[in-house]
Amino acid sequence: MAAETLPGDLLAARQKRAALLFMLPAMILLVAVYAAPLGYALKASFTGWLLTRPATANIFVGLDNYTELLSSPEMWSAIRVTLIYAVAAVSLGLVFGTLLALMLDADFYARSFFRSIMIIPMVITPSVIGIFWKLLYEEDSGVFNAVLQAVGLWKVAWLNLDMALPAIIIMDVWQTTPFFMLIMLAGLQAIDRNTVEAARVDGATSLQLFRYVMLPHLVPYMLIATSFRTIAAMGDFDKIWLLTSGGPGNRTTTVTIFAYKNGFSAFDIGRTTAIAWILVAIVLTASAPLLVRLFRSAVEER
Amino acid sequence: MQSSRRRRILVTLLWIAVAFVYLFPYTWMVMTAFRLPIDTLSMRFVFTPTLDGFREILVNANFLRYVGNSILTAVPTTLLVVAIAAPAAYALAHLDRRNRTFLGAVLIVRMVPGIAIVVPLYLVASGLGLLDQRPTLIFVYSAFNLPFAIWLLRGFLREVPVELREAAIIDGCSELQVFTKVVLPLVTGGLVATGVFVFIAAWNEFLFALALTQSRAATAPLAITGFRNEYGTQWGAIGAAALMISTPVVIFAVAMQRYLVRGLTMGAVKG
Repeated sequence: MAAETLPGDLLAARQKRAALLFMLPAMILLVAVYAAPLGYALKASFTGWLLTRPATANIFVGLDNYTELLSSPEMWSAIRVTLIYAVAAVSLGLVFGTLLALMLDADFYARSFFRSIMIIPMVITPSVIGIFWKLLYEEDSGVFNAVLQAVGLWKVAWLNLDMALPAIIIMDVWQTTPFFMLIMLAGLQAIDRNTVEAARVDGATSLQLFRYVMLPHLVPYMLIATSFRTIAAMGDFDKIWLLTSGGPGNRTTTVTIFAYKNGFSAFDIGRTTAIAWILVAIVLTASAPLLVRLFRSAVEER
Repeated sequence: MQSSRRRRILVTLLWIAVAFVYLFPYTWMVMTAFRLPIDTLSMRFVFTPTLDGFREILVNANFLRYVGNSILTAVPTTLLVVAIAAPAAYALAHLDRRNRTFLGAVLIVRMVPGIAIVVPLYLVASGLGLLDQRPTLIFVYSAFNLPFAIWLLRGFLREVPVELREAAIIDGCSELQVFTKVVLPLVTGGLVATGVFVFIAAWNEFLFALALTQSRAATAPLAITGFRNEYGTQWGAIGAAALMISTPVVIFAVAMQRYLVRGLTMGAVKG
């Protein structure tokens, strides 16, 4: 503590002023691209603004957009789809990622090669994934059905009413499993090897080893990975938009897709900004534990 | 000894199987790039490779122009983000370490989904006549990646001992000199890693590009959607374009593996 504050209030004040100058460009950019548009959106969400009728921009409707949305089945369907998508994709990603991390933690040949190629899906451009998975899912010409038929199973209409939501979840699990794998692997490698050895010498089975030695240690890593991924999943747009465009009907219309459609197809600015603000509220609530954790560790560190 | 070797071979074989199945969609994409449409549709694994797909996207001058747009958007974004984030991160790491307002603002902004700002940004850009222009996209991408970059760089800069700055100040350096001459050279690894992550994010971005650009400033992730249209699907072209767009980011990510976990978790997990 003492070391960082050089003698004299003058120096401390000068240091603060320098800090402000260093932060200024970042503050200006964040205000221009985030704070101002968010404020603008908040104001617009209280109006009945339709882009096709400019005169409507100043019609103040109070909370009407919000009350209308919160009683509309479409909005609740979008919230439901978003939650199912996020929860299912994140849990499956966590399970597969943990299994792969355990497998990577073993001793085998060309380990770093396998580790490297396994992260490919995670970084491929999401719009490429959306476009390409649509081709893979094609009912008659897609390779997934070809494989299913080759092993004696039946064709699946992947993008129909019942399968579309599972289909976008499968696509997301495919893409994000390496994310979980890498974080869980980092967790596994931080375990004290002596503890594991000691447990093994004491006769613990592999399952017991995982349950009582590794799992407790991995929980914080799981929380971090799931928090980050849940927040991101709730904002996912590109893959879903290109695979299903929210359809069929509104079966895969997440809140993000719902907001986009209202904004750029219906040009209903009042409504789309209200949806966006509802989503911000949901995401910030969901990310509160992670935010608090990151904030605390930043403020409290030595 | 013998049995442990057998175990290693078995695990390796298991990994070959797992990687084959898991990466199958990617392998299929790569193969599509080198196949005639007829071979793709008949699901042939053995085929005579062709470069027709690549020829198609190279002859199609528009696609190359969009790839050019992607480069001319992602590279300036990367430089701008690092240039703006580094001083801010330094301020938070050394000069004003408990600036709760800015720390909190950076974190909250990081969590705000893009869709929340895309509509107002569209309205403002269209009002100012800034739609379909690369600088607009660069400006928006820079802000979008800034919170992440500040937080990550702050972690790298925290590893520089505070005594170093104090010694340099006593020696008569200004804060700016300390930052550029003493501190920055010590965190080049962190700067490069942050820059690469920003580049990947900007290169892959879709939503803002979709909303804020049309034909002039559109980027490659948008352009690839053009090969699937009412006239059918140009398989070879999609495969070639997909490979061309995704290969740079795959290479960058693999090269940056050491920092990947740290980047993905904003420094919460060191990896």
